[in-house]
Parts: sequence; C-alpha cells; structure tokens
Amino acid sequence: MKKGLLLPVSLLALSVSSAVNADIRINGFANFTAGYTTDDTGLYGYEDKVDFSNGSLFALQVSGDINEKVSATAQILARGSEDFNAEFEWAYLTYNIDENNSLSAGRLRVPLFRYSASLDVGYSYHWITAPRSVYNVPFNNYNGLRYDHSGYSGDFEYLAQFIVGEYNESVSGGEVEADQLFVASFEGTYGSFKGRLVAGRGRNNFTQVTVDQTVAALEPVAPELADLLALQEDTGIFLGAGFEYDNFDWFVSGEVTSVATDDSFSPEDIAWYVTAGKRFGKWTPHITYETRDGDQDIKFLDTVASYPAPFQPTLLAATVGLQSFFMEDFSMITVGARYDWDTNIALKAEVSRYDNKRDDNPADINTAEDTTLINLSVNYIF
Amino acid sequence: MLKKYLAIPLVLAFSSFASAELTVVVNPANASALDSKTIQRIFLGKEKKFSDGTESLPVNQGADNEIRQNFDQEVLGRSSSQVSAYWSKLVFTGKGIPPKEVMTDAEVIDLVSKNPSVIGYIDSSSVTDAVKVINL
Repeated sequence: MKKGLLLPVSLLALSVSSAVNADIRINGFANFTAGYTTDDTGLYGYEDKVDFSNGSLFALQVSGDINEKVSATAQILARGSEDFNAEFEWAYLTYNIDENNSLSAGRLRVPLFRYSASLDVGYSYHWITAPRSVYNVPFNNYNGLRYDHSGYSGDFEYLAQFIVGEYNESVSGGEVEADQLFVASFEGTYGSFKGRLVAGRGRNNFTQVTVDQTVAALEPVAPELADLLALQEDTGIFLGAGFEYDNFDWFVSGEVTSVATDDSFSPEDIAWYVTAGKRFGKWTPHITYETRDGDQDIKFLDTVASYPAPFQPTLLAATVGLQSFFMEDFSMITVGARYDWDTNIALKAEVSRYDNKRDDNPADINTAEDTTLINLSVNYIF
Repeated sequence: MLKKYLAIPLVLAFSSFASAELTVVVNPANASALDSKTIQRIFLGKEKKFSDGTESLPVNQGADNEIRQNFDQEVLGRSSSQVSAYWSKLVFTGKGIPPKEVMTDAEVIDLVSKNPSVIGYIDSSSVTDAVKVINL
C-alpha cells in the first residue's frame, strides 16, 4: 500500500512546488463519534464501554491548480481505528480534457458505491457510517487511472467512470493483492430519481494463515482441489446496482452488490440495504435495513468426489471447513436522526440492532452475537 | 419606487423585514439568456458557461445571510445545509469548488459590475445601475 503512494505523492510535491502561482485550497473534515454495544461481545470495534476513537477521523485535503487543465489533490486522513496515524488516503492529478471529460492518475477511490467518493465525509450523508454490510469491502482505494465522462440532456444528467489499476489491502487477518483491476460505473439522474450500475473485475491473490495452511496440506495429495480452494491469480467479480428518490422533503434509496471469486474458497457475498428518511427543518429522522448473505452452498464437492474413496472424508472436511470459515450472514436495522446544527456541522444519533445468523463464524473479525450498537457523532467540514 | 416607499413605509418596512426580495443580477454587458434552471446549474457547479459560451462565475452570499437561505430554497430548491452537504461531496472528491462567498449586497454589486462573467443575487432594494436584473 505504501509503495504505491510514493509515485503520486512525489509527483504531487513536485507539481506544487514548481507552480509558483498555484492557488492552493485547503479543506478538511472530521467525524467525532462515540459508541458502545449493549453486550460484551462487541461489534465493529465497539464494546460495552463507551469508545470515542473507533469511528472518529480527521482529514485535511490540499488541492491546487497546476495550470488551466491540470489540478492536484491530496487527502491526508487519520483514523481513530488506526491510532490516528495520518496516511495519504488519496493523492492524484487530474487532467481536465474539457468540460465533460477528465483523466485522473494516482491513488484514488474505486467508484463502487453511491457514496464511495465521500465515504469518509460523514457530513455528506444522513448516517453516522454508511451501511457496512455493503460498504465494508477491502478494495475501496486503488492505485491507477480513472476516466470520467459526464454530461446532461434536458433534465437527465449522467456520469460514467472507468478505472484501471491495482490495490493491496489487509482483510480477514490476511493480505489481499489485486492487479488487472477494471471497473466501470454509470450513474444517471433525472429530477428526483437517481440510478446507478457498476461492474468490475480484478485478479486477486489472498494470503492468510488458515487458508495457506489448508492449501499447503492439500497440495501433495490433491493438487487440483488445492488449486481450486486457493485464491491465487483468481478473477473476482463485483456487480452492483443502486437507486435513489430524493425530493428534498423525503428520500428513499438502496444498493445491492455481489462479490464473488468462483475458483476459490471464498463464498459469494450478496449484500443490500434500503434506507429512507424525512426532513423536518433541521431534523432528518431515518431508518435503514441492511444485510449481507455469504452463507452459500459448499463448492467443489464434485471435485472431492472424484478422488479415491479413502481420501474423501479428509478432503471433504478440509473443503467444507475452509469455506465455512469465511461464510457470514447477518443483518442490521438502524434508526437514527441527523440534526443540521449549522451549514458545516451536523449532529447525529443512531441505534442499530445487529442480528448475526452465523454466530459461530471465527473468520470475520467483526463476528458478534446479536447486539445493539448505540452511536453519537459530530460531523464537521471546513 | 420612492413614491411607493413614502406612501406605505410601514408595509414595506414590515415586508422587507419578513423576507428579502431576491433578485438575480449580472453585468450589464451580459446578454445571455438565463432561466432559473440555468442559474441553478451554474450555482451548483454543473454549468461553467453562459449560453453565449463565455465563462460564468457565481458569487454566493454568506451562509448566515437570510438572502442566501432564500436563494438556496427558492432557486436551488433545497436548504442551505443540503447545499452545503452537496458541495462537501464535490469538494472532497476533487470534483468542484463552491462559489466564492461575500457578505453584503454591495460586494456582490461591486464584483458583478467589474466582471462580465460574474452572476450573483441581492435584495431588490439594493439594485443599482451598475448591474442588470434577471427576471425569473
């Protein structure tokens, strides 16, 4: 992750220092969030003691125009969940080809979801945290290129984005590396309606202790099965769709996504949420239902069956064991309210009830029994 | 105008106190066709040119000014907080910069009168010959 940063950051430093007349803009945002769970099993890093750091973050964004066509942007973000160690979340250069087309290069956000671009800016949406069932994926940022094309015709506006690149992230106690990452997204707005479609693929490598040990143990006996289970040079597919209706009085929106790497132990995850809210002056009460279902049929049973009978019980145990280890199935209902204190500060409160349908899942670090999560947050922009 | 003001000072004073009358103004040299849809697009950063192809530079009033809240509600169709949330999405994705803000009608008039690209809004009672009123 850090290696990929060197290029854009040094490029940026070079560009900024050499452009004497550059108009530098500094903006920032902060989310200060407190939370606790009613049960000692905890959830998403919160426990049954009040925690102030886990959902808090502070960010500074510096941007400047290098010339009429090229601008540079860097966002430095410190997350409480990572001991407020400041990191470059994004750093990129944008070449504005014309009013409707631009090309960006550097470290960027993958345009996967409706709120991907402003995911860390709590002020930009009604929740304290965007629905984790859908938004918690290990490939939110990448290094590479992005091409944007936008336009409108009458009341219809659209934005198409195409990206190519690679990413490295930590997930589920392991490391995932992907290259040949391609994502295309299309968002159309017509009056109060908004629709969104996205499709992406990446060639993934995932290393993690449990997986590596199982695969290494199977390799000498059943190489074909070991290769199927391993997540090495395997293509992962991401598909998503979203809708929104917002007439500024009330809104309803939702997204559904599928993440799958067929030729691996990794189960397909299908996640979705629906949210609705109504605005009463400065108050916006809202409700959200979200769910992720990664509790799928065990794959490769026919491959297990193709081995001699004496091997089958051991191979079956390894096949089922590894896949079950990563399966998850949960849902959450959140009721909350946003209060617009001023035009740059919002106060929020939420109560979420988490229902884990696979309570014995040890792979997911977020595994928890059913519990209730209570959050209060102050979101600020400047 | 003067006669009316003298004739019904109380009513006028009361009504201007209750709600400032919003007027969109441009430079007298600006001959572009402008409707409220176009003005909305310009102030939301979706359109960067006037209909004649010249650059458009929107100027906002401060977020605490009553006229700004009226403009956001009447022309942009949303509350100032929602407009601010809209810009936060663009600013923090490097996709846009919100319009420059000034604090008084006089500053808007000054900017509009000096630059044919500038478009702003003021209370109708502040209108001078230095600016051209856009009838919506």
